[in-house]
Amino acid sequence: MPEIKVTPLGAGQDVGRSCILVSIAGKNVMLDCGMHMGYNDDRRFPDFSYITQNGRLTDFLDCVIISHFHLDHCGALPYFSEMVGYDGPIYMTHPTKAICPILLEDYRKITVDKKGETNFFTSQMIKDCMKKVVAVHLHQTVQVDEELEIKAYYAGHVLGAAMFQIKVGCESVVYTGDYNMTPDRHLGAAWIDKCRPDLLISESTYATTIRDSKRCRERDFLKKVHETVERGGKVLIPVFALGRAQELCILLETFWERMNLKAPIYFSTGLTEKANHYYKLFITWTNQKIRKTFVQRNMFEFKHIKAFDRAFADNPGPMVVFATPGMLHAGQSLQIFRKWAGNEKNMVIMPGYCVQGTVGHKILSGQRKLEMEGRQILEVKMQVEYMSFSAHADAKGIMQLIRQAEPRNVLLVHGEAKKMEFLKQKIEQEFHVSCYMPANGETTTILTNPCIPVDISLGLLKRETAIGPSPDAKKPKLMHGTLLMKDNSFRLVSPEQALKELGLAEHQLRFTCRVHIQDPRKEHETGLRVYNHLKGILKDYSVQHLPDGSITVESILIQATAHSEDQGTKVLLVSWTYQDEELGSYLTSLLKKGLPQST
Amino acid sequence: YRDLHTFELQAPTRLIEWARGSRVCVAGYGQSDGNEILQLIPPPTLLTKETQGLCPERDFKVECGGFSERPVYSLKYVPDTSLLVTSGPPDSSLQVWQVSAEDSDIIKSVSPIETENGTGQSWAKIATISARAPWVLHGSRLDRVQITEVESRKNVYTAASGGSEELSSLAFLDCNTLLLCCTAGRLCLADIRQPQSLMEAVSVPSVPCSEQWCMGTRHGAQGLEPSSQPVARLSSRGLLTLTDLRKTSEFLALAKARVPSPGSGAEFLCISWSPALEGCLAISGFDGTVHVYDTQSWDSSGREAEPIFVHKGHAFGGAGGSRDPPLVTVHTWHLQKPRTLLSAASDGSLHVWDWVQPCGK
Repeated sequence: MPEIKVTPLGAGQDVGRSCILVSIAGKNVMLDCGMHMGYNDDRRFPDFSYITQNGRLTDFLDCVIISHFHLDHCGALPYFSEMVGYDGPIYMTHPTKAICPILLEDYRKITVDKKGETNFFTSQMIKDCMKKVVAVHLHQTVQVDEELEIKAYYAGHVLGAAMFQIKVGCESVVYTGDYNMTPDRHLGAAWIDKCRPDLLISESTYATTIRDSKRCRERDFLKKVHETVERGGKVLIPVFALGRAQELCILLETFWERMNLKAPIYFSTGLTEKANHYYKLFITWTNQKIRKTFVQRNMFEFKHIKAFDRAFADNPGPMVVFATPGMLHAGQSLQIFRKWAGNEKNMVIMPGYCVQGTVGHKILSGQRKLEMEGRQILEVKMQVEYMSFSAHADAKGIMQLIRQAEPRNVLLVHGEAKKMEFLKQKIEQEFHVSCYMPANGETTTILTNPCIPVDISLGLLKRETAIGPSPDAKKPKLMHGTLLMKDNSFRLVSPEQALKELGLAEHQLRFTCRVHIQDPRKEHETGLRVYNHLKGILKDYSVQHLPDGSITVESILIQATAHSEDQGTKVLLVSWTYQDEELGSYLTSLLKKGLPQST
Repeated sequence: YRDLHTFELQAPTRLIEWARGSRVCVAGYGQSDGNEILQLIPPPTLLTKETQGLCPERDFKVECGGFSERPVYSLKYVPDTSLLVTSGPPDSSLQVWQVSAEDSDIIKSVSPIETENGTGQSWAKIATISARAPWVLHGSRLDRVQITEVESRKNVYTAASGGSEELSSLAFLDCNTLLLCCTAGRLCLADIRQPQSLMEAVSVPSVPCSEQWCMGTRHGAQGLEPSSQPVARLSSRGLLTLTDLRKTSEFLALAKARVPSPGSGAEFLCISWSPALEGCLAISGFDGTVHVYDTQSWDSSGREAEPIFVHKGHAFGGAGGSRDPPLVTVHTWHLQKPRTLLSAASDGSLHVWDWVQPCGK
C-alpha cells in the first residue's frame, strides 16, 4: 500500500522548535525549520541527522517550506542551509520572505553580541540563505518539479502566515503551521477549501485551552493603560514592528477616540514608516475591514499616534510609547526603559514572549534589580505587566479546520501526549478519521488509497454503452476490458484491441457436456422433444431448431446422437464457449433432469 | 464589577461543579450523542485570593474529558474516590465515571447504576456524600428515593413513600439526614436510621398555581448544626422562602424577586447560598441575569426584595440577531473568594465575575 511518512524533528509532543519531515510518493519535504527558544546549546536546533546519515541534504530533500516568520518556525533556517548545507529551494509567502531576515538578524544580534555565542550563523549567512528563497502567492499552485506541487492558504495568526498543501499525483498533505480560526482587528481567519488531503498536520498548542474572551483581555489592557495615564505615569510597550503592535495601536486609537483622551501616544520613528510600508505592500494579507477602510483612510495612519523622538522620553506628564525591539534587549525600547524604570507611577507592558537573557525575560521572571552595562545596577520600580495577544486555534478551531478540509487522517503536533488523548478521541469520534500524535524522532506511517487514473479507449466505451440498458449516472456499471500497463500509463481497451497491440492470437475455449437420456425413439425425434421442452421453459431466450436437427439456445449448441451401445439411450451433446459458461451449466443441469413424458 | 471574565464553551452546560484541587466540571446537555464532560483547571487569577488584572495565564485549561451518550443534566463528584456520577434523560439510571488526571486525560465510563424505570419517570436528581462509605443519594420521584453505595452498588437505604411527586433536588444535611424538595414545592426530611418512618413535610405558601420550585441548602461553616442553616426555596414565579428546619411550621422569611413574567419555564431554576458571605444567596434561571440578594433584611411579608447586585453579562454576550436571548442555565459561588460567582448560559458562555461591595455596607 502506498504510504506517507511523517517524522517530526521538533514539535512532536512539545512546544518549541517546529521542523517536520514528510515523505510522500517518493518526494521528501521539510516543513518549517524552527529554533527552540528555551535552550542555549545545540538542543535549540532540530536534529538534522535524522534526515540522512550521509549523503547531501540537497539531494535528499526536494524542498523546504516555511509557514511564517516566528523564530520557532524559521529560526534554524540559516543554520540549516548555510552551516549544515542545503542548496535546494525554500518556499515561503512574500511577507514572510520580507520579514524573516529582520527577525533572524535581530535574534542573531542578541545571541552573539549580548550572550557571546560562537556557534551561530552570521549576517552573511542570513543573506545567503534568503537568496535561496522562492516567494509564493496565496492559492497559487507552484510546481516544484514535474510531480511535486505546493499551494499556500491563508492562516491568520501573523502577517504572511500560511498553511501549505503539498501534492504529488493524487496524494496530498496539508500542513497548517500556526493558524487562527477567529479574525482579529488586523488579520482575518484561516481558510482552506475542501481539498480532502490524505493527511492534515495541525498544531494543537491551545487545544486544551478555553480562552478568555478577547474583549476581556483588551478591556483589562486598556484599563491598565488608562489607570497609569490618569495618575500621570508613562506606559512603555516594547514591540516588534509588525504583528501585535498594529493590533494594539488600532485598539488604543479607538479607545482614545471614544474616551476623548489627551495623553500622547508615540510609535518609534523609522519603524512607523517601515511598518506602514509592509502593510501597504501586503494589504491583501490583512482582514476585510482594514482593506475596506484603507481606501478611505489608511488604517495605519493614526490620528492620535505620533512619531516618537528620543527627546520626548524626558517630557513630563503621561504618555504611551510603542518602541522596538520587543524583548527590551537593545535599542530604543531599552533606553526608554532605563529612563522610566525608577518611577513607580510608570508601567511597562510586555505583549509577547521574551527570550532568556533579555531584560524583558528577566523582569517578567520577577527580577527587580538589573545589571546594566558598566556594572550599573538599575532598580525597577515601575509596574511590570504581561499581556499575551497571540492567536492560535483552540479545540473548536481545530475541529472547524478539519471540517473545512475533510482530511482522511489527522496528525497533531505541538502538544503534550497526555493532554492530547481527549482531543484525539474527539476527532476520531466526530470525523471517523485516524488521529496520530508522534513524538520527536518518531516516524508515523499513514497508508493511503490513491486513485489510479486509467484511460479507456473510445471503442470500448462505445461498445459497452451500447450493450444493456442505458447507463444510470448514479449507479456503477460493470464493464469488461483488458488493462494494459505500459511505462507509467494505464489503459483500458477491448480484448480484441489488446490482442492486436500485443500481437497475440485469441484462444477460444469450448466446453462440451454429454447428457444421457432414456429415449428409444430416433435421434431426430429426440431432438424435437428437446426443442419443444426447452422452448416451453426458456421463454426469454432464443431457442432455435436448425434444419440439421441441432438446437441452439442463444449461442449454445445441442445435438442429439444415439448412444453407441445402447439403442434406448440418447446422448445429448451440449456445447458452449467459455463466455456462455453460466447458461451452459444451467442447460446441462436442466437437461439432466430429463424430458417430460408428454412430448 | 470588580472583575469579569468571559469564556466560551464549545457546548452549553447546565451544571458547574467544584472538584478537588479547585477544578471545575461542566458537561453538555444536547439531545444528540457526543456530549462532553470536561474537568477544567481555572486560570491562576481565579485561584488566588487577590485579583490580578493582567496575567499571562488567563484561560481555563481542559484537564480531562469524557464522552457521554446521554445529555448530562446533573453531575456530582463522589468524595474520597476518583469517581463521579452523572444523570440525565431518558431514564433515572446513573452513569458512573472514573477520573484519573495524572495518567491520562480521558474520563472513563464505568458501569452504570441501574434503577427500576417505571412509567413517567424523568431523570434522577443526585447528591453524594462520603460518610460510612461513598454514597450517592438519587431518585427522580418522591417514592423512588434511595441511597446506593457507589463502589459495591449495594442499596443502603430506600425512602418510605410519601407520594409520587417529582423531585427537583435532594441533599444530605448530614450523614443521617436527607432533605428532599419536590417540584410542587413540598420539602421533606428523612432520617436514614428510620427508613420506615414518615417524612416530615414543609408546605409552600399561597395557593399552588402550577409553579415549580427548587431549593438551596447551605453547607454550613464548621461546628454549626446543619439543620440550623435555613433552607431557601425559589419558585418559577420568583417567590423566595426561607425555612428553618427546626421550626417548620412558619417561614423565617418570604420575599419576591423581580423577575420577568413566567414564560421561560422552570428548566434552569437555580438558587444557592454564598459559602462565605453570611445571608447572601443568588438566583438565576429566569433570563440572562443572575441576582444576588442579602437575606438579612428580609421579613415574612413577602414583598419585593431588592437585589444587591445583578449580573447581566450573558444577555449581552450573544451574537445578536433574531436568536432568542441566552438563558442562564446554572450558577455557583466560588468556594474561597467571597464575592466571586461562576455562571453559564444556554449560548455556551461561561462567566466568572466579582462585584464591588456597595458603599455603606
